[in-house]
Amino acid sequence: MKILVPFKSVPDPNDATVVGAAASTPKSVINPFDEIAIEEALRIRERGEAAEIVGITIGAPTVDEQIRAALAMGIDRAIRIDDSRALDPYAVARILRVLIEKEAPHVVIMGKQAVDDDSNQVGQMLAGLLRWPQATFVSKIEFLGNKTRARCTRETDAGLEVIEIKLPAIITTDLRLNEPRYVSLPGLMKARRKSIEVLTCDQLGVTVRPLTTVLSTARPPKRAAGTRVESVEELVTKLRQDAKVL
Amino acid sequence: MDFAWSDQQRELLDAVGRFASQQLNYDVIENDREGVFNREAWKKCGDFGIQGLLVPTEYGGLGADPLTTVAALERLGYACKDNGLLFSINAHMWTAIIPLVYNGSEAQKKKYLPGLSNGTLIGGNAMSEPNSGSDAFSLATTAVKKDSTYVLNGSKVFVTNGPVADLLVVFATVDKTRGPDGISAFLVEKDSPGMNVARKLEKMGVRTSPMAEVFFENCQVPEENLLGKEGGGAFLFTRSMTWERGCILASAVGSMQRLLETCIRYANERKQGGQSIGKFQLVASKIVDIKLRVESCRNMLYHCAWLSGHRKSVYLEAAMTKLHISDCWVKCCEDAIQIHGGYGYMTEYEVERDLRDAIGSKLYSGTSEIQRNIIASMLGL
Ligand SMILES: Cc1cc2nc3c(=O)[nH]c(=O)nc-3n(C[C@H](O)[C@H](O)[C@H](O)COP(=O)(O)OP(=O)(O)OC[C@H]3O[C@@H](n4cnc5c(N)ncnc54)[C@H](O)[C@@H]3O)c2cc1C
Repeated sequence: MKILVPFKSVPDPNDATVVGAAASTPKSVINPFDEIAIEEALRIRERGEAAEIVGITIGAPTVDEQIRAALAMGIDRAIRIDDSRALDPYAVARILRVLIEKEAPHVVIMGKQAVDDDSNQVGQMLAGLLRWPQATFVSKIEFLGNKTRARCTRETDAGLEVIEIKLPAIITTDLRLNEPRYVSLPGLMKARRKSIEVLTCDQLGVTVRPLTTVLSTARPPKRAAGTRVESVEELVTKLRQDAKVL
Repeated sequence: MDFAWSDQQRELLDAVGRFASQQLNYDVIENDREGVFNREAWKKCGDFGIQGLLVPTEYGGLGADPLTTVAALERLGYACKDNGLLFSINAHMWTAIIPLVYNGSEAQKKKYLPGLSNGTLIGGNAMSEPNSGSDAFSLATTAVKKDSTYVLNGSKVFVTNGPVADLLVVFATVDKTRGPDGISAFLVEKDSPGMNVARKLEKMGVRTSPMAEVFFENCQVPEENLLGKEGGGAFLFTRSMTWERGCILASAVGSMQRLLETCIRYANERKQGGQSIGKFQLVASKIVDIKLRVESCRNMLYHCAWLSGHRKSVYLEAAMTKLHISDCWVKCCEDAIQIHGGYGYMTEYEVERDLRDAIGSKLYSGTSEIQRNIIASMLGL
């Protein structure tokens, strides 16, 4: 079985640097949900159910650092689509579609959303474009029927839902699927010998134009200092009148 | 002279920082109080690649150069708050791995280095004895050859990792009359008949690094476990001590950098007399001192490692590096407590522990007085 894992490079959510602030570039990391997708692919390969894991990302050469991190975690090879534009989910899905048709994986595992824009759309759009089944927000994956089907547990607002889908399919990962491994130094060394293939949209024969534009970004409002309350009554009043949560 | 890291080095250092801050900082206060060694964290470090940094790749290591190695250990010391764990790792690297890398036979290297690199085996050394400390070569433990085994008799103290070690490099004399030329090194595996890892020693700092007394009573060591040549122990010991002095406090430099940042944060946040305490010149000046110490220590550390990477002798530089960093580390910790006021004295603020951990650095790998003796002799005094 061949697994394809698209992943995105995002600003490190644990980095205190303010996004958009002058003279500071926050560190980049692999989108945490995509890291979970990579980990899952590795575990599937480790239990002997997959032979190859291909990682794909779209970005400028600066994202090579995250690609090497993915290679160091253990994926077999990586492709970077050289494009430094800020693409929206539909554009990303269209690029990925072409690559998936070219690579012909049995399953695509990817994060349910990226933590920078929280769009939660690429997986669904991709399934639509490819006319493949999809399982989103997945917290457990099992392969059945000689790897022709996947049984996935989905985390929905109503509770856990178990579904079976035919392969090839798109699976998007939720937080509780696994805990990703850390990049080890031997892994980093091995990653240096693995190749990163660089392609352009031109070479893939796909033209994309963003359908959405980001007009502005702003910091969340500063939190006001807390106050001490003397009694439960006062707390309830404040929750009602000031916080307006009751 | 190039002070920049390569992309590959930067990547490696970032990976160390991320790994250590996420994987190693749990139960540190409790383990320090109880004197518990974190075996799980040790294994994680092995899997991650710390213990094997300097080990050639053919024996399961990373084959990193000395400069990259000390920089990685510095980052480890910055991101990991368990100084005892790091001390155990250092003892293991400098007193077990280094002698094996330099003096081990092919069979010995194949047998032990992969396990010592990946965290499955723990090593250490047994040199100090009740009556020989600084004057290490006056040791009394004897090794007598009988057929194809050596029989060891004597007692050792202050054996770091003793209670958990799988393999100890033990120094003994095959002929007391030959002085240093009689000293030989042996690889002694745990549970060897006649070896008794006795009392676990309680200590002031690096309490998460276990230490024991070890006794040898007709302990049989197969002759293939002689490390290096018979009588070559003093040379082997001096070489591994030189490595140890030059590198063992790399993590201390990282720990000082962490203290510096902690102090800056605290001095900006804590207000007295209507202003941040950092605005008091007497407080700011202490932080400036810490900064100067960190920078000078780091420069000495890197320079010494750079020299050994270029196969230059560092006998003098290693002694200076060890002496300077240990002095600075203790002073930084004292200043850090002073800057934190009464809070710095409290366990939960995790500053007082650093001071207790730092003080031992003026004793192990040769006391500060011994480092001064070495430096003075190298200056022709
Ligand atoms: C945390 C820790 C871990 C250790 N781990 C190990 C280990 O794994 N294996 C091991 O073998 N040993 C280990 N040691 C022992 C350490 O190497 C010795 O403590 C050290 O060499 C000093 O020996 P000593 O304690 O017998 O002191 P002594 O040699 O008795 O020294 C006492 C005092 O006299 C001074 N002094 C001695 N000789 C001279 C001189 N010639 N000139 C000037 N001053 C002198 C010393 O500097 C010191 O101040 C460890 C020690 C510590 C604290």
